[in-house]
Amino acid sequence: MRSIVYYVREFLRPEWLKKFFFVKTAPLVTPPYFKGYPTRTEKECTGCFTCMMICPAPDAIAVLRRKEQWEPEVYPGHCIRCGLCVEACPEGVLSSGRVLELAGRDATAFWHSYHLEVDESLCMRCGNCCVACPINRQIDPRLAATGTSTSDDVIMRVKGGRVQILHEEKCTGCKTCETQCPSGAMRVARMVEGVQFLDEVGS
Amino acid sequence: MKKTVDVSIPLGPMHPCWKEPVRLKCETAGERVLHTEVELGYMKKGIERIMRGRPWQEVMFLAERVCGICSVVHNMVFIETMEEISDIAVPPRAAYLRVVANELDRIASHLIANFSYCYTIEHETLAMYLLNTRERVLDNLERITGSRINTAYMIPGGVRFDLLPEDAAVMLADLAKVEDELKRYVRIFETGPLIGLRSKGIGFMSREDAIRAHTVGPTARASGVEDCDLRLRHPTYQALDFKQITRTEGDNFARVMVRFQEVFQSIDLIRKCVDTLPDGPIRGGGLCRAGEASYAGEAPRGELTYTIKTDEYGRVVDIAIRTPSIMNIEACAHYMVVDATSIADVTSTFISSDPCIACNER
Ligand code: SF4
Ligand code: SF4
Ligand code: SF4
Repeated sequence: MRSIVYYVREFLRPEWLKKFFFVKTAPLVTPPYFKGYPTRTEKECTGCFTCMMICPAPDAIAVLRRKEQWEPEVYPGHCIRCGLCVEACPEGVLSSGRVLELAGRDATAFWHSYHLEVDESLCMRCGNCCVACPINRQIDPRLAATGTSTSDDVIMRVKGGRVQILHEEKCTGCKTCETQCPSGAMRVARMVEGVQFLDEVGS
Repeated sequence: MKKTVDVSIPLGPMHPCWKEPVRLKCETAGERVLHTEVELGYMKKGIERIMRGRPWQEVMFLAERVCGICSVVHNMVFIETMEEISDIAVPPRAAYLRVVANELDRIASHLIANFSYCYTIEHETLAMYLLNTRERVLDNLERITGSRINTAYMIPGGVRFDLLPEDAAVMLADLAKVEDELKRYVRIFETGPLIGLRSKGIGFMSREDAIRAHTVGPTARASGVEDCDLRLRHPTYQALDFKQITRTEGDNFARVMVRFQEVFQSIDLIRKCVDTLPDGPIRGGGLCRAGEASYAGEAPRGELTYTIKTDEYGRVVDIAIRTPSIMNIEACAHYMVVDATSIADVTSTFISSDPCIACNER
């Protein structure tokens, strides 16, 4: 009996109760140098797909068309928080922790271009790649309906029984052709190079 | 006299002291260990297979996921191999920053290795102290690279981020604290009588055995193998006047002490790097091209080799990674634990060789 009283008294000690109910732990703060998930800033996305193309994780970022404007969307479950998209975006649409803003300050960036390859031995000349390519369809809207093009401005077209690649430099690297090709003949290679434009920072 | 086996004792694959699954089968006579066999293959990731056919931009991230403890060095060796293939030059500032990141990573790796050793010999206090100190180091790694473990700090032709003077100042102040703390812990480790009983003279491997077993890294250096630190051949480290640390005892104590001494050396190297950090760009640029190269660097556990074949657009056609731990584990089973006086000594000897199963079974 005495011990029960003792325990009840111990438990009802005011300072202990106060600590129990009103305990203050230090708030959890994210350190400024943490490379967090990319978030969108106010700037407008031009839909160049650079972020999508540089992202090393499958399906981590998608550039979606929403109400007359492009929007990059990051899927946190897939994103590995490498920050490459933040660094690569030429418009500064994405932002993240302080270390990544640093890359903007010292003018380090990625220079990139894309290269299209068709494996002649696998290609069946179906023309899916040429029709699916969004840039192609923008350049020559007729292409989407008829499947062939007479324009010389398109990125690629089927002519003379093979896929002709005319304007590689217009490719934005969206890889639509690669995913649409039924036989896996089309490959989009990205050429990325990290560069620092020192004359721009003036050092 | 022919020794007869009493009983075969399996240690692992799940063992409270081991960070990762691996099994040792010890044949014993009484408590005396006669013969040990290692059984690997509990966590094969197949990461080399995943890497094949991918562009280097993706392989870079897979490479640092080979090992969760020394990921910076995997990043560094992969990138340096790609640079060797494509003849890309690194600006001096970037080369120094790489050394800073790599040495911070080495400190973190060595501290966790020593943590696990102290934990195995049941000096939990010291173990927790070391883990605490390691947090400080990881915080600094995060401060300069933005991530604690998988940093993706390097790219062909340079590094991703610059080191700001204010960050460098905080880092140096933190490292001074780390050094003070570690000095105390090393004194505890060196003079503790129980630690001595469990480590000095236990798990002995002679220099000849170490060479015969092709051991690498701190395990080899603790047995007195000279010239086995690949940092000696790295141009940036040569510029920093790097000397390797060797001990001659060849027992558990020496292996842990080599790691402690290397931590102090790494702190010195970082200081030297920050003091003599050259000005200039941190990214040179250069495209990855077709070619084939094999390149080795010094990971915290020893020699790490990447053999890569790329195509014209920098896609990895073929890749083979050779990580350091496998030789150390074999050497442990064949030379260190033979005639161990008890099973508990087998555990601590195995941990003292710092086995890393994650990079072993990549
Ligand atoms: S942070 Fe890296 S993984 Fe995440 S969306 Fe950007 S590029 Fe992809
Ligand atoms: S990746 Fe293919 S589909 Fe996309 S823009 Fe380039 S050519 Fe067109
Ligand atoms: S989609 Fe593939 S198979 Fe069809 S034309 Fe293009 S490359 Fe050839």
